[in-house]
Amino acid sequence: MSEPILEVRGLTKAFGGLVALDKVDLAIRPGLITAVIGPNGAGKTTLFNIITGVYKPTEGEVTFQGRSMNGMSTPERVRLGIGRTFQNVLLFKEMTVLENIMAGRHGKSHVGFVDAGLRLPNALREEERISLEAIRLLNLVEQGMHADKLASDIPLGQQKLVAIGRALATEPKLLLLDEPGAGLNAIEKRGLSDLMKRIRDMGVAVVLVEHDMDLVMRTADWVIVLDCGRKIAEGTAFEVQRDKRVIAAYLGEDAEQRYAAG
Amino acid sequence: MKLKGIRLKWSYLVIVAAVAALAVVPLFANRYYLDIAIIIGIHTMVTVGLCLLMGYTGQISLGQAAFYGMGAYFSAILSKTYGVSPWAAMFIGAAVTGGFAYSIGIAVLRLRGNYLAMATLALGIIMNIVFTEAASFTGGQDGITGVPYLSVGGLVFDTDRGYYYLVWAFCLAALLVSRNIVSSRTGRALRAIRDSESAAESIGINVLQLKAKVFALSAVYASLAGSLLAHYWAAVGPKPFDFLFSIKVVVMAVVGGLASVWGAIFGTATVKILGDWLHEFGEYQVIAFGLMLMIVIVFMPRGLWVHLRSRVLQWQRRSTRRAES
Repeated sequence: MSEPILEVRGLTKAFGGLVALDKVDLAIRPGLITAVIGPNGAGKTTLFNIITGVYKPTEGEVTFQGRSMNGMSTPERVRLGIGRTFQNVLLFKEMTVLENIMAGRHGKSHVGFVDAGLRLPNALREEERISLEAIRLLNLVEQGMHADKLASDIPLGQQKLVAIGRALATEPKLLLLDEPGAGLNAIEKRGLSDLMKRIRDMGVAVVLVEHDMDLVMRTADWVIVLDCGRKIAEGTAFEVQRDKRVIAAYLGEDAEQRYAAG
Repeated sequence: MKLKGIRLKWSYLVIVAAVAALAVVPLFANRYYLDIAIIIGIHTMVTVGLCLLMGYTGQISLGQAAFYGMGAYFSAILSKTYGVSPWAAMFIGAAVTGGFAYSIGIAVLRLRGNYLAMATLALGIIMNIVFTEAASFTGGQDGITGVPYLSVGGLVFDTDRGYYYLVWAFCLAALLVSRNIVSSRTGRALRAIRDSESAAESIGINVLQLKAKVFALSAVYASLAGSLLAHYWAAVGPKPFDFLFSIKVVVMAVVGGLASVWGAIFGTATVKILGDWLHEFGEYQVIAFGLMLMIVIVFMPRGLWVHLRSRVLQWQRRSTRRAES
């Protein structure tokens, strides 16, 4: 297997007395869609927030392409190539759909107050480039028809795709998707699954946190299962589905016994 | 598409008409109205800076009077006491004030909402005390008189009419620069911060630094405005740079529409004219401004200017539809 792009070692996060993550080790490999699953409170979103630098780990280390990221701010991590979406979408509501994706190009462009304020030629050229790239990404997530609408005026399912487009605009090597399927209907989920595969095939390591097992089974090449802050299993979707500890975590001990007996 | 075309033409028409109106004002206005128009121009620069900070970036400041005053005092002290050329004094003042605001901004813009309001409020009050108490530099309550006039070549800006054009040239430049910034990469980043700081960081925007930069820009605008005031009156004192002015700027920005660059002129003019009527009530003016702020926020959250403009557009659309059918 290829070298991992992201490695998490001995990661612990405690909020006061509550241990959200407990000595978690895991590796994310490029060219794969990795799903992180687990019951509510398993620590999935906390894991994302540590990888993106929103939270500081209590203990342990996250390395990206072999470099430790301890102490790095979120924007610094974005520059290295870590993009993300949010469970609650968080599009910029008062901007158009296209502007949302254009905003995603922030780290890849340079024009500041002075050049923009005076509309210098380099500012205009860069603006042109930003909008072309944004249109390309908007078409990739198949939301071109909404370009000029306010982000808050389009349905949730499409907002989520726009949010993926915005994250892609940062040119991530690792893309973290927090519950991309929540609130989507069956057709939208199929589209989402195809999109994730397309992104993977572009060479981006895709990681998703997801509750919808159907979507996970259909999409993920590798599945990591967290429960109560610990990693309890990992493997292909086929393997983890049959893992006793996973079944126990989702359905309780009784079910596991019944499953074993039956 | 057609609708957009109409709207675009309409907004250009308004701008051209506004500039033309501004250009002919001095031909008709008497000294009293000319003075009001000059002050409106100066205050609009402060207002539009606050619009960038509050309307587009979502960060409140109740201390803009501090930067306005710093500009005025830098100009007065450097040009009168130290004999620096007035233009150089103006730009040195703006640069120092901007740098000062940036460093203050890095510290206080970590705060949110009411806490940020309190911190900037304190800044305004402290600076006003400095203006009053550092008497060996600022002249204390008496201020500084005999500040030299601005001049370009042989043209000295010592008449109201000349000064009117100078002020409005500055003001329109400030508005244009603001409008350009708003629709640029940086402007998108500012609006991103307003809508969601977490999402802004997730696309690589250094939120605190950018907030501090726009705070500094608002301070530079205020400082230039202060310099223009100092050379207009040829005098400075602590009174125009008090807490009441900071509040007035907030009201001006809100009335014009926080996220509307051109609304800044409208908001500033409305509040300035109203403020002159209310002048005789002294400190009680604050009550009227507070009331005005509440009414606008409750009934026209996008500001009076934006509210009226969308009404006009609605009416225009309805009448074109009627004409077509």
